[in-house]
Order: sequence, then C-alpha cells, then structure tokens
Amino acid sequence: MVSGQKTLLGRTMHGIRYDAIHDEILVPHQFAQAVLVFRGGADGEEPPIRVIQGSLSQMMAPERIEVDPVNNEILVPDGTANKILVYPREANGNVAPIRVLQSSGNSFSEVNVDPVRDLLVVGGSTRIKGKSTSALMIFNRTDEGDVQPQSMIAGPNSRGAGGSRIALNPDLGLAFGTVRGNGVHSDESFVGVWNYVEDTGDAPPRWTIGGPKGMLRQPRGVALDRRNKSIIVSDKYLNALLTYYFPEVF
Amino acid sequence: MIQPLQSRRRVGFIGILATIGVVTAAVLFQELHTESHPMSLRKPTGFPQLIAYERFRGLEGEMCQWTAASGETTLVASLQQQQTPAGGFTGQADPSAGAIRPPLRVIRDPYSNFASIAVDAVRNEVVLTDENMFNILVYDRLTNTPPKATMSEPKRRIGGLDTKVEFQCGLYIDPVSGDIYAVNNDTMRTLVIFSRKARGNVPPDRELYTPHGTFGIAVDEEAQELFLTVQHDSAVVVYNKMAEREDSPIRVLQGDRTLLADPHGIALDTKNNLMFVTNFGYSQSHTPGPDGRPIHGGTLGAGRGRELWPLGWDDTVPGSGKFSPPSITVYDLKASGNTAPVRVISGPQFNWPTGLSFDPQRNELFVANDAGNSVLVFDASASGDVAPLRVIKGPKSLIKNPTGVFVDVKNDELWVSNFGSYSATVYKRTASGDTAPLRIIRSAPAGKSALMIGNPGALAFDSKREEILVPN
Repeated sequence: MVSGQKTLLGRTMHGIRYDAIHDEILVPHQFAQAVLVFRGGADGEEPPIRVIQGSLSQMMAPERIEVDPVNNEILVPDGTANKILVYPREANGNVAPIRVLQSSGNSFSEVNVDPVRDLLVVGGSTRIKGKSTSALMIFNRTDEGDVQPQSMIAGPNSRGAGGSRIALNPDLGLAFGTVRGNGVHSDESFVGVWNYVEDTGDAPPRWTIGGPKGMLRQPRGVALDRRNKSIIVSDKYLNALLTYYFPEVF
Repeated sequence: MIQPLQSRRRVGFIGILATIGVVTAAVLFQELHTESHPMSLRKPTGFPQLIAYERFRGLEGEMCQWTAASGETTLVASLQQQQTPAGGFTGQADPSAGAIRPPLRVIRDPYSNFASIAVDAVRNEVVLTDENMFNILVYDRLTNTPPKATMSEPKRRIGGLDTKVEFQCGLYIDPVSGDIYAVNNDTMRTLVIFSRKARGNVPPDRELYTPHGTFGIAVDEEAQELFLTVQHDSAVVVYNKMAEREDSPIRVLQGDRTLLADPHGIALDTKNNLMFVTNFGYSQSHTPGPDGRPIHGGTLGAGRGRELWPLGWDDTVPGSGKFSPPSITVYDLKASGNTAPVRVISGPQFNWPTGLSFDPQRNELFVANDAGNSVLVFDASASGDVAPLRVIKGPKSLIKNPTGVFVDVKNDELWVSNFGSYSATVYKRTASGDTAPLRIIRSAPAGKSALMIGNPGALAFDSKREEILVPN
C-alpha cells in the first residue's frame, strides 16, 4: 500500500495508470493540480520520483491520466479545462505542456493512446440534436489546437460509448468503457466494447460485459490483464473489484 | 492512497517483456493489414513513426508453454483470435455473451468499515458510519465485542437506496432530539438527517443539498448554525441548522488567505468563538466569475441557483495548485470570505489529519491521524510547530488508520473509529501512549485488517507484478 503525507496522495484520488515499460505508476492530483509519478514497486510512505505542477502546467482539476511509453509522453485529459494536456514523460516540476488539444463543441474526460495506429481514443461528450451525448472520439495522436475528431462513435445505439473510463486493446482496435445506468445503483450498468477502427457513428458495442442485468452496479475503472485475457472493473457502489475472463476480446 | 492487490498468478517480468515486444515489433515495420481504412494512412512528419505492429505471439501465455483453453473458450472464439488482423477486430460478436457471464473473481469487503463516529451521551448510544456497505450503525454505548466473537450486532441500522447513505464521513448527533446528521462525501451531494425512529431502508427525514465533497460537520447549537468542510473547493460552508434542500449557505469561508487545503475534520469552541479545521495540505487558488459568483454553479454545478456558494473547479486558476504541510487552522467562529486563520497548528507529526474533536473542559483537540495510525492530542491554544500533549499509538492501542474521533465529556471517554481494522475503540479521555482500549466494538473477527477499498473510481493493472492498483 502506498499512503501517507510524504506520498502527496490523498484519500480522494480519481485516476491511475501503470507504465509497464518504465515500471512507473502515474496518479493525477485534482486538488493540487499535479501529476505524481511513483516507482512501480513503491510501497509505504514513499514519495513520488517526479511531480509535474506549477503555473506553466495549465492544469485545473486533473482527474484522469494516460501514459504513452512508446512516444514518451504523459497525457492529462483535464475535464474542467476541457483540454488534453501533453507533457514529456520525464517532465518534472513546473513544466508547460508540449501540446494542447481542444475540440469545439466536444468535451473531454478520458484519453487513451493507440500506439499501433498513432491515434488518441478520447472519451467525453458531444452534442447531437442539441443534446449532450457521450462519445468516443478518435484523433491523430499528435493533433493539437482546436481540432475536430476524425471519427466518432456516439448516439443512442452506441449505448454510452466514451461515457466513463476507458481501456484499449490496440491489437484489435477495441475500446472498453464503463457505462453506468441511471442513479448511483443500476443493474443496467456494463462494460461496453466498441471497435473504434471499424465502427463509426451510432454504432452499438460489439459486446457488453458484466451487464446489463449482471453484477455491476456502478462501474468506474477498467483495466486489461492481457496475459490472462481478463478485464478488471472497479465498481463504486459495490466497493469491489471484479475480474471477467473474456478471451474473445484478446 | 494506492493499494496493489495481487492476482493469483505471478509471472515476474513476462508483462514487461511483452511490452518490449510491442516496441520491437514496431521497429521491425511489420505489415499493417488495414489498407482499406483511412486511419492506416500516415503523413510524413520528418520524425520516426510507428508504422505497423504485429503481436509478438511468442510471448503469449506462459513463456514457451502451451496455454490450455479454458472451459469458457469456444472454438469459434479461439479461431477468431488467431485470425484477427492487426487492423481491428472483424469477427462476428455475440453482444450478449458477456452480459450474462459471471466474474471470474470478485474482491469485495464483506464487513462494515467504520469511518466516522459520534456518541449520543444522553441516550447512551454510539453511532458509526460504514463507508464500505453504506450504513449508519447504532450501538449501545457500552457494547464490548468479546474477543472470540466475530462481531457485535448494532441496535439499529439505517441503510439502503432510499436512505441516500453513501460514502459517509461525518456525523453529528443533535443533543436534544437525538437526530443523526450524516455527511455524504461523494456523488450523493446531500446531507441526510434521520430521526431516532429511523431504521432500515427509509428516506431521510430531512435533506440539505450540499457542495460536492463535504467531509466534516459541526454544529453551534446556541447560534443554530451548521458547519461543513468541503474538500474539493477547500472551503467551509455554514448553514442555518434547520436548512433543507436547496437552501443556500449563510457564510462561506474560502480563499488563499484562509490556508484551507483539502479540509477534513471540523470542531467548534463556542465558548471562545473558535473554529478548528484539519487540512491535508492540498489546494488551488480560485478567481470568481465577472459577477463574483462561481462559474457554472461551482464544482459539478451543485450550486446552480444558490445565492451563496463556494467557488469551484471551473473557477480555479490553472497551475495554481500546491502542496502545503498538513495542519489545523483556527478561525473566528463567524469567519467568512477570504479570512486568514488566527492561528495554525502544524508539525511533522501530522499524517493525513482527518477527524477532529474538541474537549471544552480540558481545552484539548483530538486528531484522528489516519496514515500515522495514531490519535494526537493538542492544547487547543497551541500555535505553530508544536508537539502534541499526548499521542495514542501502538499495537496495544489497536489504532489503525483512524478517520474518526469523538470526546465523550460526560463519560470521560475518547472514541476512535479505525478504518483499517473494522473497529471502534474506547479509551479513558486522558489516555496516552500504547494504551489498550477499555472496550472495542468490532464488525469483523479480531485481528482482521480491512481492505480499505473506499470509492474505487479508477484502477490500473501492473503487468510486471500481476497486481491491481486501486486509488481510493
């Protein structure tokens, strides 16, 4: 367990990524507008090895994070700033982003990098017929400035694509997103699997995992254990971690 | 806090090798089978690019070993997997296949995990909030779980969807009516108030819609004012005690000069007109909108339409965040706006200072020092970097990740809720050092350490160690 004052963590952390190549853990800190980077084997009250924070960073309330170990970048989808801020992976201290991505009419909450196709797979929302709708948006990895996505999965048939946390299997071009039903507790919740390479527009998920009418009630985090062909989901209402064996998507 | 939860199998560095394989394969410029898709077209940039990629099949499964198909793997699925090109999944999917498939493993804490605590000395009861299974639990004050017993049953339980009880972190008991005021920390954004008759899955008798991220609660009974700390906005909001639903606060304490920084516990000294707040030390600066009000109704829009509300995330100054030492900040009881504390108590002994309780007879402050596994007792008149008067800590004390603390002046006792060990422990009010508790209320077998999964909003998988990483 990594905890305590010296870690700079609190009891209200909302995002995490593991960088398998460099064996590092990354955590965004929404209260202190910072990114904390820990050793992969960090334990106890161990301080971060790097911290991005300061006036140049442009961070407002960073709750999610992504690391791209292939291109050596850290990406912070700041939902409050409605920007994706990109930093060098080894940035430390008061560092300005090397790229900033925005998209008029669209909101960002989550980002994943597909290093195979050099894409950003972004979760957030768009407006369809004047109504805010969750969307899975695809950008070129190095897009910057105010850019419209090159493609998007959104609409009633898409069933919440891009609405919450996302994990990728870039081998197959699949995005895994947690979708909550209404309220804090809903058996309509599930993990949806969308094909962001083949599908666009109002495309339904290729699979739903753990629901609807399954065990999930308020799924939040999602991660892939590719070796064991499993999907791991955190459920906020159950206060639980659930592992689904699902070889079809690996 | 990040918790690694190890999965059943451990493969050492297989995961990292697999990732290196990805990069190696990329360098080898394998053919990408997606010519028909526009995403496969690349523009020259003048820099090296990842052009193609193919899975390094030699690193699938155990190193150089055949991975047997499980009973859940269908032949069709296996063939699909083998034949899928790198350009994307093109096989036919059965969208309902996953909906009905049960999880292979579930990590879930089956026991109540105590977060906050308050004693009703008039009615001889102790009330605890359970942040794991979302309950308010009421026990007889003299309950003492026998060493060999699994747990003690509460006298009353308030819990269920109708109660709107979720991640409850603060408690106040009305000394006259016995009403329970319970603070929801996260998505509920509501303070729920139950009468003593409440039991089971019942709606709250009263609700107050609060800012997002409230934590601590205190009440000035003489002035009939209710105080709440707000973590996300680094603020204290003050309401009329009987406020309900969409009533606005009557005062907001917020701003750089306040030194509020991820505030948690709050306690009042109404005799000397003082307010005490514990701070983790994490904050950012705010600037109000053109009309002086929060943009978009404050954090997550919780304050839309209110006359007064704390500035929220949309009002933060980008890049203004900072880490400060943890502290207790002390204010005038009626402080509002961007007002500096009259004193600050700080020092290296603070380690996630959370719950706070004030003893007016002895003029002492009791701090639940979460990550320090201790309770710190300070002279309430202290200022600056001072040592605590007493520290309760050690294996005999059974204090583990305390998040709640309550001084029962009437019965000369100190109560601690231990988030790390499914227990509430009771001590003499003047206890010090590694002192064994007088009594203990447990919700799980003795010696059991809590999972402490609290609000797992995200997770990651450490493929090198085969560990699930969970921020709480």
